[in-house]
Amino acid sequence: MISFLLAYITLTLFGMILLGIYGVATRSNLIKKIIMLNVMGDAINMLFILIGYRLVFPVFPPIYEKHITFEEFLSRAVDPVPQALVLTAIVIGMAMNILLATYAIQFYRLHGTVDARDMAEIMGGEGE
Amino acid sequence: MKRDVIVAVSFLLAFLFIAYAVVYINVLGLGGAELRPLGEFYLGHAFAHEGLTSHSPEVVTAIVWNYRGFDTLFETFVFFLAIMGAFSVLRLTREQESIVRELEAKEPHRQMDLITRATTKLVVVMIVAISASIALHGHLTPGGGFQAGSAMAVALLLLFAVFSKFTLERKGLNLRHTISAYALGLALILATVLAPVFLYGGKVLEINLLPGETGLFNLDVGEYTAVTFGFLTVFLVLGVSEWIFKTVLRGEVDD
Repeated sequence: MISFLLAYITLTLFGMILLGIYGVATRSNLIKKIIMLNVMGDAINMLFILIGYRLVFPVFPPIYEKHITFEEFLSRAVDPVPQALVLTAIVIGMAMNILLATYAIQFYRLHGTVDARDMAEIMGGEGE
Repeated sequence: MKRDVIVAVSFLLAFLFIAYAVVYINVLGLGGAELRPLGEFYLGHAFAHEGLTSHSPEVVTAIVWNYRGFDTLFETFVFFLAIMGAFSVLRLTREQESIVRELEAKEPHRQMDLITRATTKLVVVMIVAISASIALHGHLTPGGGFQAGSAMAVALLLLFAVFSKFTLERKGLNLRHTISAYALGLALILATVLAPVFLYGGKVLEINLLPGETGLFNLDVGEYTAVTFGFLTVFLVLGVSEWIFKTVLRGEVDD
């Protein structure tokens, strides 16, 4: 049962990542691209946390407490490394979002469009 | 049309391949009761009651600011660059700022209804309290400066949506003050990072040398201030009404 649930969640997350790549590649609206980038990023973060999880019961957060012995702590605490990776990734993702959204808004104010094909024409490249 | 079919089929094949690799071969190593060796090392060595220690019983914080301290420090700089990139695109000269102020005075006074405003006031107070507790307890409980800063940014966004930019500016949170506060947070981080070099003759970011938990506490509080006011700075510039910004931009084009 538990392995079925784990496989189900993991495959859903991988599906979300592929969906994100698909959305970024095929939609031409910049706002939709940013939204799909977020879907992808959140799925990847979730996957990281899932990798750090341990199938033991009860499972502890990686924090030392007085009433837990050291051996018990080592055998029960989840892996702290993926959590540390995700912790900063979330905020950097938010900052990246702000940067992208700002550029999209400013482009819309200047040229009245957020479509990537129009953008290519305006900037002098070759549109489709 | 034909290209769409090819794209869809190739994505399906990729998904099937990943599904096979994850479920049958278990390439990610999911669902085990064993720790990875690296995780075990961190759990075992992060906190000691005597001798070398990271001063943090919370292993995630120990990794973020001690074992991978440089990574976190430079992520702070990445955050700084992102905020400054957004800010420099939306920048206004001094004349443009005065035009904006003139036009904003003409804007009609609108407000949401009483229920929304009262609820928001309550919720914002709670979010601020929780974010402060996350930041100040960062070295003992899950979280830290980054998390607390993003929680605080949510509270400020709520204020933006329900009240307005002008309410915040009337309370003293204008652009000049938020940028100063942001610089203050970054200065606190830099001072803490450089303190071991000048006070104790150690290396950069060797915060174990500082007495007790001062190093971690300072870094958490500095990160909290930096993230909160960094976000607020961009929100304040993004909060200028669309028609006002367009008027200002048109003036720039005509010149």
